[in-house]
Amino acid sequence: MQASRARLFKEYKEVQREKAVDPDIQLVCDDSNIFKWTALIKGPSETPYEGGVFQLAFAIPEQYPLLPPQVRFLTKIFHPNVHFKTGEICLDILKNAWSPAWTLQSVCRAIIALMAHPEPDSPLNCDSGNLLRSGDVRGFRSMASMYTRLAAMPKKG
Amino acid sequence: MDSEDDMHDANDVESLEDFYSGDTAASDDDERDFDFAKSDDSDDETFHPQRNYTILSEDDILQLQEEDITKISTVLSISRIQASILLRHYNWSVSKVHDAWFADEESVRKAVGLLEKPVVDPMLNAVEVTCGICFETYPRYRMSAASCGHPFCCSCWTGYISTSINDGPGCLMLRCPKPSCGAAVGQDMINTLASEEDKQKYSRYLLRSYIEDNKKTKWCPAPGCEYAVDFVMGSASFDVCCNCSYNFCWNCTEEAHRPVDCGTVAMWILKNSAESENMNWILANSKPCPKCKRPIEKNQGCMHITCTPPCKFEFCWLCLGAWSDHGERTGGFYACNRYETAKQEGAYDEAERRREMAKNSLERYTHYYERWATNQASRQKALSDLQKMQTEHLEKLSNMQSTPESQLKFITDAWLQIVECRRVLKWTYAYGYYLPENEHAKRQFFEYLQGEAESGLERLHQCAEKELQVFLDAAGPSKDFNEFRTKLAGLTSVTRNYFENLVRALENGLSDVDGHGACSRTQSSKSSGSKSKGGRGKGATSRYESTQWSCKHCTYVNVRSTTECEVCRQRR
Repeated sequence: MQASRARLFKEYKEVQREKAVDPDIQLVCDDSNIFKWTALIKGPSETPYEGGVFQLAFAIPEQYPLLPPQVRFLTKIFHPNVHFKTGEICLDILKNAWSPAWTLQSVCRAIIALMAHPEPDSPLNCDSGNLLRSGDVRGFRSMASMYTRLAAMPKKG
Repeated sequence: MDSEDDMHDANDVESLEDFYSGDTAASDDDERDFDFAKSDDSDDETFHPQRNYTILSEDDILQLQEEDITKISTVLSISRIQASILLRHYNWSVSKVHDAWFADEESVRKAVGLLEKPVVDPMLNAVEVTCGICFETYPRYRMSAASCGHPFCCSCWTGYISTSINDGPGCLMLRCPKPSCGAAVGQDMINTLASEEDKQKYSRYLLRSYIEDNKKTKWCPAPGCEYAVDFVMGSASFDVCCNCSYNFCWNCTEEAHRPVDCGTVAMWILKNSAESENMNWILANSKPCPKCKRPIEKNQGCMHITCTPPCKFEFCWLCLGAWSDHGERTGGFYACNRYETAKQEGAYDEAERRREMAKNSLERYTHYYERWATNQASRQKALSDLQKMQTEHLEKLSNMQSTPESQLKFITDAWLQIVECRRVLKWTYAYGYYLPENEHAKRQFFEYLQGEAESGLERLHQCAEKELQVFLDAAGPSKDFNEFRTKLAGLTSVTRNYFENLVRALENGLSDVDGHGACSRTQSSKSSGSKSKGGRGKGATSRYESTQWSCKHCTYVNVRSTTECEVCRQRR
């Protein structure tokens, strides 16, 4: 508990210090609980997520960083490796390939990389995975960008 | 004591001569006879095959593991820790390690994570180093690193190792915490950094890995048994007898089931646990309510059925028509001739026939299952009797009959034979169940052999159980004891022969009946009055004609012309 708190505090200070370094990621610690974080990440360019801002929720276990944080999308996203309803993310480094040397910041970077490079062979969102697997890239892109527009962009008017 | 003649006298078995060929010829005195009965005999091989496996205790396993590690470590000139990591990666196969290493050492090193020199060495040029996990800065003597040199503080290492160990045997493949590094973490680091409890768990996993990841070794499946078995691949028999006295099949790790093959056993076990029998029962004994379709069992009473609420539909059991339609027109409430009429017209034939067949197939299964289970129970009882014999009765008997215990070995032998025979007999019922109905000659031959073996075994079991009791209850030495000895030893040997015949025949797929007249011989011998129990089996199954086939999956008996089962729709 103490070790995880200390480590999270260090990450917190690091985030404060380097705010400008990675403009695509904005990590915020909950005001009252250092084990709850949220992040806003920008959809990577040249993907159907471009222009969208996606919110992630981090629930951090007491054994962190020996165990990985639980991360899910709060913003609806159409992506093969993200559960369409719950926002759960299928990413190896959040499961068995976790290493305590990863940080919340690097997890965010990994998720952005996942958005740019979906893995349709281990889908949590089968509809999305099937579109890509059947080679219908155009269909996938238009679905994904529609949801980006609907859920991840500021409402007009 | 001239055992040969006495044995013949003691066993008034009509077919004794056939089976009793030369097994006892070599023996003149009792002592030798009993040793002889135990092993070494070539005839005996069917029951105690030459050992093609080794039972390993924990110490043996550790020693073998050490030897393998030493071999690799010397041949490849690497440390023992590295050798151990390497062997684990290649499932403890020394030859695979050799092949891979000498084919391409560099890629093996990379895949396994054995670095030749550190990739970074920050510990030399800095007094203080930042731990990559807790981000605290420590003097470098408080840091540790795997062969790669990536420094982490000791308490983070301890936590990292402990998390991995408590996560399961994957800890044997632990790598440096730095993502993308991949340097292997060996037992040396575990031993310096982990807690006592974790260290023990780790070595336990290492030991288990040696048995479980190795194709030629397995743990004995008996509950609580700690022995492992090293099996020589390609051996004829899969039967393994562990030091804990549990017999099991190497191939499928079910209980030993020779002469029945693993596939049949798996089917049988699946069948015993499957719901398919329930389904058959429902089909055979119930009719669905014509309105709500729930199955209804009619166990008594009249034909006027009222379905249970909420349905409450009233109908006639015979014609399944609404009860309100019954009356004068149908020939009265209690004489539903609509049924007879409809049946004559053929309207009910199909459903009725189906129920009848399902009922038959259930009965057939029950027949075999009952006998399988009875022999199983009987074997358990014999095992406990044997134990009791060895712990209590033998000593008592020895004192009472003034005979050294070594000369009472024939009793133990008899019981061991009973236990083994019960096991074989049990599995022959699974075999019988799957023996195709239309192979008449094979069935008859099988049932004959099974019947002979079973009646022999019953005699032996009876003798060992009941007749021995007389001597146990007796007040003093009995002069009949020698007679009993020859009888029991004789029965043991005769029964063993019966079972050897049975096992041999089943193992070559009952091929003896193809071609020559073995079948007619067995038939006549059977009708000549041996009280063969196989006859029962025959009686229960003879109504199945070769115009039918029994579904492997649900046992439903289908007509021959169909290619898929009418009940479960699986292909024949």
